[in-house]
Order: sequence, then C-alpha cells, then structure tokens
Amino acid sequence: MKVFNKKGFAALAAVAILAAACGGSSTTGKTLTIGIGLPLNGSALASAGPARDGALLAIKEASIEGYTLVAKILDHAKEGAHNPDQAAADMLTFVGDETVVGVVGPFNSGSAFAQIPVSSEAGLLQCSPSNTNPNLTKDLPGAEISGSDLREGRAANYVRVATTDDLQGPAVADYAYSNGARNVYILDSTDAYGKGIADSFEAQFITAGGAVAGRDGLPVGTTDYSAVAAEAKSLGADAIFFGGVTSDGAPLFRKALDQAGVGALPFYGGDGIFDGTGEGSYIAISGAAAENSFASIAGSQNIPGKADFDTKFMAEFGVAAEGYAYAGYACAQILIEGIKAAVAAGDVTREAVRSAVVDKGAAFETVIGSVTFDSVGDTSQKYISLFKVENGTWVFADEVDYTGK
Amino acid sequence: MSAAEATTTVPRSSAARLPLTIAAFLAATLFVLGLDQFINALTLGAIYALIALGYTMVYGIIELINFAHGDVYMASTFVAMFTIQTLLGRSGAIESIPELVIALVIVFAVTASLMGLAGVVIERFAYRPLRRAPRLAPLITAIGVSFIIQNIIQFAFGPTIVSVPQIIPISWSFMVGESRVPILNLFVVAAALILMAVLQLFIARTRTGRAMRTTAMDRDASALMGVDINRTIMLTFLIGSALAGAAGVVHVLYYGNTQFGLGFQSGLKAFTAAVLGGIGNTAGAALGGFLIAFVEVGASSFGYGRWGGGIVFTLLVIFLVFRPTGLLGSSTGDRA
Repeated sequence: MKVFNKKGFAALAAVAILAAACGGSSTTGKTLTIGIGLPLNGSALASAGPARDGALLAIKEASIEGYTLVAKILDHAKEGAHNPDQAAADMLTFVGDETVVGVVGPFNSGSAFAQIPVSSEAGLLQCSPSNTNPNLTKDLPGAEISGSDLREGRAANYVRVATTDDLQGPAVADYAYSNGARNVYILDSTDAYGKGIADSFEAQFITAGGAVAGRDGLPVGTTDYSAVAAEAKSLGADAIFFGGVTSDGAPLFRKALDQAGVGALPFYGGDGIFDGTGEGSYIAISGAAAENSFASIAGSQNIPGKADFDTKFMAEFGVAAEGYAYAGYACAQILIEGIKAAVAAGDVTREAVRSAVVDKGAAFETVIGSVTFDSVGDTSQKYISLFKVENGTWVFADEVDYTGK
Repeated sequence: MSAAEATTTVPRSSAARLPLTIAAFLAATLFVLGLDQFINALTLGAIYALIALGYTMVYGIIELINFAHGDVYMASTFVAMFTIQTLLGRSGAIESIPELVIALVIVFAVTASLMGLAGVVIERFAYRPLRRAPRLAPLITAIGVSFIIQNIIQFAFGPTIVSVPQIIPISWSFMVGESRVPILNLFVVAAALILMAVLQLFIARTRTGRAMRTTAMDRDASALMGVDINRTIMLTFLIGSALAGAAGVVHVLYYGNTQFGLGFQSGLKAFTAAVLGGIGNTAGAALGGFLIAFVEVGASSFGYGRWGGGIVFTLLVIFLVFRPTGLLGSSTGDRA
C-alpha cells in the first residue's frame, strides 16, 4: 500500500524549510512550542485524546529558565480516522512555525510514514506515544519501505516510547513455552503480517526448546477450518498459534478446534486478535470458545509513576488517566528534557534538541520508567504484554522483557 | 441437465462402473485420511455440492455462468441468521429434539423460500431482458448483481464476521473407535443428500422436470411443443436459489458464523465443482463438489492446506484441457 507521495511532500517540505530558514533557524525568542499532532475527532479521539492530555499536562508543569513553553495542537483525523495526508500537512505547519522545537505524535503508523520524511528534512524531533510498526525505524529484510528510506539517510529525528511489533512473535513464543507448551500447531493467514509473526514465533519457540507439531496456512476468505483443526488434533499439539488478524479467520479456526474436541488447548496470537470485545472482535465471534486464548501487544502495563500521575491527571482534567495518557506524558517529558539540555548548552535549535534526545544515548526518567533511544530512535523499553481471555474479556496475564536482547 | 441425460452422453459401461468407482474412491480416502478428516470432507463436500447444483442448473438451461449465485448463498446465511436469532429468538443450542426439529423446519422453509424468490426476482430483472443479447451482457449483469447483493448485506449487517447461534448442539456425537462423529456433520450430509435425491427425482420424473430438460436441450423446439419457456427458466432459478438457501442454512448450522464476503470464494469453488462434474449435469455437480472437498481436506490433512486452492484450480485446468465435458459428461460440454 502506498501511504503517501514521498517526493511531493519532500518538495513541499523543502519550501517550508526555506521559509523557516529566512526567518532565522536559530530560535532565540522567548517562546518555545511543543507541537501535538494527533488524530482528535470521531472514533480516533477515544484512544489519542488521553495522549494529548498527558502531553498537555507535562507541558503545563515544565518550567524552562528564560523561556515560555506552549503547546500547539493540530488534529489530523478526518471523518473520525487518522488521515496520513492531513498528518503530513500538519507536520509542514509545525515545520513552518519556527518556535516549534519538538512534536508529540503521531498516533498511527500510517500517519508516521507520511510525517517522518517531512520532519526529518527539517530536523524536527518528534516522539510517538504509540507507533509500533518496525519499518518506521528499522531496516528489515524484505520490507517495502524502511526507516532509512523515510529519513533518507539522515540522523534519526523520530523516536517512540512503544516497542516494535517484530518482537511480538518471539515474546509469545517465550511466554507459551513458559506456560507449558511443548508441541505447537501453527496456522498463518499467508499474508505479510500473519506469516511474518508466525515465522518469528516458530523460530523463537524452537530456540526456547519447543517442537512444532505442524504448520500450515489458510488465506483470508477461508470458511472451512475443520480440516486443519482435525490435523492439529491428530498431530497431538498441546497448544495452537495463529498468525493473523481476527478478520483473517482466527475466531473461525478457534471455533473449528472447539468443534473438533480440542477447544481446551491454549490458543496464542499476536495483537491481530487483541481487538476488545466489540462487534466483530475475536471474542465476540468466538463466543465461549475464546476462553484460554492469549494475545500480545507491544508495550508494558507496568507504569512506575502511575499513582502520582493519576492524581495530577485527575486534578487537571477531572477524568481518570487511561490508555495512552502515560505515553503522551512520557513523550512530552522527553522533549522537555531535550529542550532543557539544549538551553543548558546555550544552543536552542531544533538540531540541538534532536541531538540531545537521540545522539547522546541519554537516559530519560519518565512516568513509564527510564527510557533511552538507540541510533534509529527505538526505545530501550522492549516490553511485550500478554493478555488472556477470561470470562469473555481480555485480562492482563504477563509481560515479556526484551531489554538488552 | 440430469442423470437421465448423463446416461445418454456417458458410455453405458462407464455409467455402470460409476457407483463402484465412487465406492472405491470413498474407501480409499477413508483409509488415507482417517475417519475424522473423511467426515470433514463429506460435510464440506455436501455444502459445495448444494451450491454447485444452482450453477449447473442455470448454466444447463440458459448457458449463463450466474456469478451472483455465490452471493445468493451468502445472503441466505444472513436470512438463516435472522430467522434463528430474531424470528425464533434463539441464542444457543436447542437440546430438546422436538423443538429442534420444528426450528430446523422453519429455518429451512423461510430461508429456502425467500432465496428462491430472490432468484426469481434476479432472473426477471437482470437476466430475462438480456436473454437475446450477446452472451457477455448477462455475464456482466451477473457480476453486477453479485456486487449489489454484497453491498446490501454489508450495509444491513456490517462488514465483520458475525457469530450465529448453532442450534444443533455441537456436543451431540458418538464414538467410532478413536474418532468422534458429531451428529451435526451427519445431519449436514444427510440433508444435502436428501435434497439432491429429491432434485434428481423431480427432474427425471415430473412434467416440470421434463420441461426443464427439453428447454435445456433446445429452447425453440420446446417452445413449439408448448413448454412455457419463461416459466421453466423461472422455476430453474427458483429451485437453484432455494438449494443455495438450504446450503446457507447448513453453513450457519455447521460453522456458526458468516460474513458478507463469503459468496465469492465459496461460489468460485462450487462453480469449479460444477465444471469438474460436467457443467449442466446435476449429478456431476454434486460429485464435483465432493471431489473438491476431498482434495482440499486431503491437502490440509497432509499440511498443504496453504496450497489447497492451487491444487483445486490446477485440477480444473487439467479437466478443461483433457476432459472438457467433466466427470459425468455435459449436455453443453462443447461450450463449457
């Protein structure tokens, strides 16, 4: 899928930067701005709104000697969903405002693909609270587009506090093994996501000491999973892994296993089946058969500064902090620390802020714990959380730490 | 078009050998696949066969590949869902046998009659006006109707997979050796076989059935003999679509879910079944449906489910090249 016209945006970005340069790229004024670029209307607001509020709280709390720190919010949702074109246009607006020295956002990986070429060219630091697509930063073999394509070889200006999806398969494998699985049957949806996560699961499961009873794939649109379910049963599998998303057929496979008499086997999947309990979700379609299913999602559920933050958040906004509020707060904290480092060095430019956060390998103490970024902008916090279906809903089960791996 | 016709196009000796060949094939697959997978294949085959009948009947009589047929089947799963959930107010298995029988009769009756009606409407408005048009025209409208049905269902029921209560308890089963034989699967296979047998008898023995056969052979000559062509074609659509409706009921009973995009893949497979069996030949279509199911389930049971689709369509190409009239011969094989 082509998510943006790279050349077009690069050209527009160049014009904007030129305009900024004429105004003097060194920001010596008394006002510094942190941009907040998130999808903030329609159904997107529910998830991204808390991230905005978290960032606003951090900006309000911050004090920088000799400067006034303000927030500038741009909403790139259209008709209730994030819009990559609008996200890129908003990034141009941030780039054009010379007081903007850092941006919190975006929320969706699709928008990040559109924004990074623009922000990278301007050397403007951005921090995403939620992006997990590995190709935004890394150069993985076989990827259509990679981190160095987006940056066009420049030093990283994009960081994120969520870890990448490519760790999910291995994390589920380690968790399944520790949960007693030794002989697993793997089914994938034959597409990039499904086969990819199943491949990484399989490799790590074997490394951990487990065996693969069988492996097969059925494409999206398949209606009959009875034969693969019977196959999993006859091979004596003690656990099932499904690589794919709910609409690929995960609940149909789960139901077929149930009908084949092996519905009690633990059923593992990635974030593709972690889709709540609403209409069309894995749990809603599988019904009672969903029990004892496990799914992973990038990020930790353990937040060291939670209690203190929750109190402050409630006092400021009158609602309880939830979801991405912590990550939004952490992103703004990191940008503010970067700005302070630049101020301390007497060089308040976008490049100084970017360099302070990315290049120096500095550790930032945030609400979600200590964070360091590697040279491409990925976080040192490599946690994958695992959830389990209990009584028809997802319940936090455990987390796997890939720090240092 | 029918078994009676099939015997005229297939040499007598091979027709006599057919039941033996089928028996040998079943015995061999049972031995290779094991009872579990054998039952899975029979059940899947029953569904393919019911859909394939509609394709082959319509092709036999007006030489149209009715691409909307798969979507009639898809729509019928939603009608069945609506009947079970809303009309009957059921949200789970029905353990009482008399209540279950009544519920099943109602679901089959409502779905089959509504879908039969839908088939008649589609024929009247999308195909009949184009009966004398070049053959490409009704093919295009068929594809159009297919999209229209998909969009209506998507609008009414949403784009996601939806769960349907399985009114036949999936726990009902008995053991044969190591294998668990679910009553549900037996019911699906039995229902399909009964419907197919009734259809064969109807086409072979009744006046209307004879009219359908003669219309398939030579429409103008039949008209001269006093056959009401429009009525006969309408009836063909009615029966074919009602059978798709029955297949839809069986689908929700067996799988417990449905989705608006269901018709495309299932339709394609069933169409392939009709061609494999000899398009225009009802017994052949049923046989083709079972054959495809056995190939798919066989592939999955050896860990090659990934290539199941490829194997099925390779088989189709081989048949089209080396035996274009299909397994049992086709009344219109030269055009298939």
